[in-house]
Amino acid sequence: MYLVQSFLHSLIAAFIVDTALIAWNIEAPVMRQRFRLMVLVMPIVSYPLYQFLSPERGSALFRLDALFDIGRWLDLELWGAVPVGVLFLLFLAFTAVIFVIQEMLPIARHTLTPRGDSLDTTVPEPESRVTRALESLPGGKPEVYILDDEEFVMFSSTGKNPAVYLSGRLVEALSLDELRAALAHEIGHIGRSRRPLMVVVFLLRILMFYNPIILMEFRRIVQEEEKICDDVAATLTGNRAALAGALRKFYYPDGGEQKHPMPDTPRLRDRIEEYSHTILIESRISRLEEPPAPVMKGAVAFITVLVTIVSINYYLV
Amino acid sequence: MKKTLGGLLVFVIMIAVLLGLLQVLNWIPAAVQEGAFRKYASIEEIRAHLKINPVYTPIYYPPSVQWPPALIAAQARPYPAVLTEFMKSDDRNETILIITQTARSHPPLALRLSLTEVRETVKYPFKGRVAVLEVGVCRKEEQCSRMVWDEGEFRLSLVMRSSPVELVRIAESIVAQHPER
Repeated sequence: MYLVQSFLHSLIAAFIVDTALIAWNIEAPVMRQRFRLMVLVMPIVSYPLYQFLSPERGSALFRLDALFDIGRWLDLELWGAVPVGVLFLLFLAFTAVIFVIQEMLPIARHTLTPRGDSLDTTVPEPESRVTRALESLPGGKPEVYILDDEEFVMFSSTGKNPAVYLSGRLVEALSLDELRAALAHEIGHIGRSRRPLMVVVFLLRILMFYNPIILMEFRRIVQEEEKICDDVAATLTGNRAALAGALRKFYYPDGGEQKHPMPDTPRLRDRIEEYSHTILIESRISRLEEPPAPVMKGAVAFITVLVTIVSINYYLV
Repeated sequence: MKKTLGGLLVFVIMIAVLLGLLQVLNWIPAAVQEGAFRKYASIEEIRAHLKINPVYTPIYYPPSVQWPPALIAAQARPYPAVLTEFMKSDDRNETILIITQTARSHPPLALRLSLTEVRETVKYPFKGRVAVLEVGVCRKEEQCSRMVWDEGEFRLSLVMRSSPVELVRIAESIVAQHPER
């Protein structure tokens, strides 16, 4: 019952949150991420909380008068033989398999891979463009290392000694302003990693490993995280266009063409992932090329959405 | 402020659409497949619609129980089950007795009247059957009793806000109509 109701509650919460984001035209990624967190957290606690507060909620009579009783659908028999409930459980099992393959196996592989000083890195020269770009940014600065790589590579490591890694080829391709913006974006990630929000979000996501709605919502939260770091970079550099330019060069090195054209990607799953990734990059670039959206105080909307989700989900059994 | 109110209006309309959609979705299974759990006006209606036979009902009701039942509900799918719920004669908002009849191989329907604490459980032989009789408390520390036994193809369960004495009388009046086992 927990599996079924948590799925149902997350589906409705996702619909309500998306509706609210459109209705109030909420564009700030920090706000959007807070709203999306409701979809992640609420279904985990809602069922036990409702049952604790109102044990009668599980009764046959309550189900009879409920707004929606998923049991009615699960008891339906297709062709008089196959209960929908069996297909639904298979669907959840399929989601769990996807979760293990796409999210847990890569982590396990990464953890089990023997670590050595395999990265061929150098520290940037004091007069280099990287050093100049870094020094012009305000606040604390992480270590920066140049990777000997012919690809466009950039990432940051967090923890006690955070560092930014970028390839020499990327340094050559970016202008000084773009380099500053790209470094500022990674500094944004490092700064936000000090707050364990994303770790908590990931742990909650693991708890809901069977839930396809949570799988999608977790990815949207991660996408909002990228946009939040874009905003951090824009604040640090005061130059949104530079980060847009850096993103364009990073992902479309051939001047407008995609780095990995979709038709060349053989598997449907890869093509879908590539497509969604392209959509994300395009949306990041386009919002950086537009003037920043006014920051909305969303407390009223947030509380309205929270109360709506809690109230409606109570009557969904 | 104008933006907030405008957004609220759009939001409320969308939520109204969602509620309507949920009600339609809740109605579809019953429309496409007979036998889903729903309310009935009388026991005879259950017999006629769901072909559940027999439907076990008592012929004795203590004065504290209001007759007719406040709720009669039943299902044929995924398994046959009948539920009748009675209110107190002096308080028609409070449930005092719930009788359920479910196919033996399936768990009984979850009830809104349940023992929160069982203080004594005994095997109680009566009229050739052996019931499990439990005495305890429901919510608000009220004395409650539950009696469960198998009758033909069904498992009968009686839960009542009272001492077991009245419950046993009700149970005996049910089986008195069906002496054969």
